[in-house]
Amino acid sequence: MNRQDQEAYKADYAQAKKEGKPFFPYAIYKDHVVAVIVFAAIIGMSIWQRVGVGPPVYSASSTFEPRPEWYFFFLFQMLKIFKNQNAFLPVIMATFIVPNILMVLLLATPFIDRRAERRISKRPFALSVGILVFMGMAWLTYQGETGAAPVGGGNALTFTGITPGSAAAAGQAVFMDNGCTSCHMVKGVGGQVGPNLTTVGTKTFSATYSGKLPVPVPGVKGPTYTGTGWYVLHTQCPICAKPGSGMPAFASLTPTEYANLATFLNGLGTTYK
Amino acid sequence: MSTSNIGPKGPVTKTGEVVIDHVDHRTGAKTGIGWFLNRNIPGETSWFQTLGFAAMAVFGLQAVTGIVLAMYYKPEPTQAYASIQDITNHVTWGWLVRGMHKWGASAMIILVFLHMARVFIFGSYKYPRELTWVTGAILLIMVMFMGLTGYLLVWDQRAYWATVVAMNITASAPVIGPYIADVLRAGPTFNAHTLSRFYAIHMLVIPGGMATFIGLHLFLVSKLGISEPPWSKRATRARRAEEAAARAAARDRRPQGRREVSVDPAPQTLNVEAGQ
Ligand code: HEC
Ligand code: HEM
Repeated sequence: MNRQDQEAYKADYAQAKKEGKPFFPYAIYKDHVVAVIVFAAIIGMSIWQRVGVGPPVYSASSTFEPRPEWYFFFLFQMLKIFKNQNAFLPVIMATFIVPNILMVLLLATPFIDRRAERRISKRPFALSVGILVFMGMAWLTYQGETGAAPVGGGNALTFTGITPGSAAAAGQAVFMDNGCTSCHMVKGVGGQVGPNLTTVGTKTFSATYSGKLPVPVPGVKGPTYTGTGWYVLHTQCPICAKPGSGMPAFASLTPTEYANLATFLNGLGTTYK
Repeated sequence: MSTSNIGPKGPVTKTGEVVIDHVDHRTGAKTGIGWFLNRNIPGETSWFQTLGFAAMAVFGLQAVTGIVLAMYYKPEPTQAYASIQDITNHVTWGWLVRGMHKWGASAMIILVFLHMARVFIFGSYKYPRELTWVTGAILLIMVMFMGLTGYLLVWDQRAYWATVVAMNITASAPVIGPYIADVLRAGPTFNAHTLSRFYAIHMLVIPGGMATFIGLHLFLVSKLGISEPPWSKRATRARRAEEAAARAAARDRRPQGRREVSVDPAPQTLNVEAGQ
């Protein structure tokens, strides 16, 4: 908008105001009518759809979905689109680049669109962008609502090679009960934040770490960790075992649980399929 | 008013007037409130222009229900879950207050997005209301963060893991990501202090920021005046009159008897030269 347009707008608006009505009561009454309807809707929904509580953190319940509130579904859904982690669609697109571009565009809208025209019928570009953004978010939200594969429920998963009562069976339980499946997929069950672990046992990991293990586990000693020892170190301190790892540490299990979990992981895809 | 003015004023009325005058004399409150309420707004405003107020009203509702919840909630990893269950199942009206807070959060998100959509469609973010939009966008981001931090407080499986994932995503951002995540988590991993930190952010830090920005937002809205819907009858009339005046002026500049096309050379010659 150039100076002239700005002056024209100001004059026109001053005229509109002069011919207008006082804020009180004309605008105030409308505002309150709508606010009362909204309050009634909120109270009605609270009575009709009582809010519940899910299972507590670290409970042994096997089915839960680590889902955010519905208004973050579009972000989580975007994460799935970029999960391939290839050079063109890295995860960082979904976690950082796209959300920040959207945020900057949102903040900068009035400085990008500086034309004087205000009628939406004469702003086809703005209208198309608005509709595109709205439809995109609605679609992602809908996908996140309906398409999310339930995570957890993995206690029902059966692996050949795991006999009830064995260390590996106990390890599988530790794995399921600690929410590992909220980020990792095993045999088609689980989230996609971390790598798929179905065949993780086929990989060879090794790390040198000279510090003390946060929770000492009998038989696991540094400074070189390989095999099950690496899994113990990695679970307790991911960045110690894999520098730069984005996984949270699990430092509150018992030594036996660490050992069992490591046995389970180390055999995934080799002994336990 | 006029009928009650006859006869001496009662002592209560007199005291009231004295107090009001005292305050007004020092603060100008009467003038200010009078200006706020009696200032003119354009004659035709749309019902869609009530959505901002509705969002603000729900913010107030969230504050009230949030205060009630804070009286029973315990931000301790070992007690949080039990205290939420207590509120839901035992505290009188607790289920209702919690329900209103939860549904209110969703309502607020919806209202803020609808409000933003109406501002966008009306072109209300244009001159001189650019900064109103910017303060609004910051409010939108803060509302989203309220949702993120509040969700964890229930301390159930799905909220917990969803928030762990969200924090990992934060930490994966380049350069400052890890630092922001550390500040939010109160350390490099989720720990016993994470919950109380989220609690403090949810009920003190962001609401304070939001109150400030709602204040700024409202100040700008009342200072600049609410925009007039672009298709209002008055605006259309004004536009038509302007166009008619422009046509009339063009006609007046024309020598008698000439056809319009050949005389008003400016746009056409310009087009031919610049275009080809
Ligand atoms: C919040 C999400 C999250 C949770 C919960 C989680 N992980 Fe991870 N995990 C990751 C991410 C992300 C990586 C990839 C780290 C990297 O290399 O940057 C990973 C990597 C791994 C790896 C290495 C895989 C490879 O191929 O490099 C193993 C093994 C692993 N996780 C096991 C576990 C176990 C066991 C649990 C449960 C105790 C668990 N994870 C819980 C996110 C998670
Ligand atoms: C907590 C969130 C918000 C609250 C409480 C709020 C409140 C309000 C109120 C009460 C008004 C007066 C007019 C009306 O009701 O429409 C208003 C106007 C306005 N809002 Fe918001 N708002 C919020 C978020 C936003 C967002 C996210 C944006 C855009 C990014 C925005 C941009 C604007 C603009 C540009 C105006 C001026 C419109 C005009 O003059 O016609 N607001 N806001």
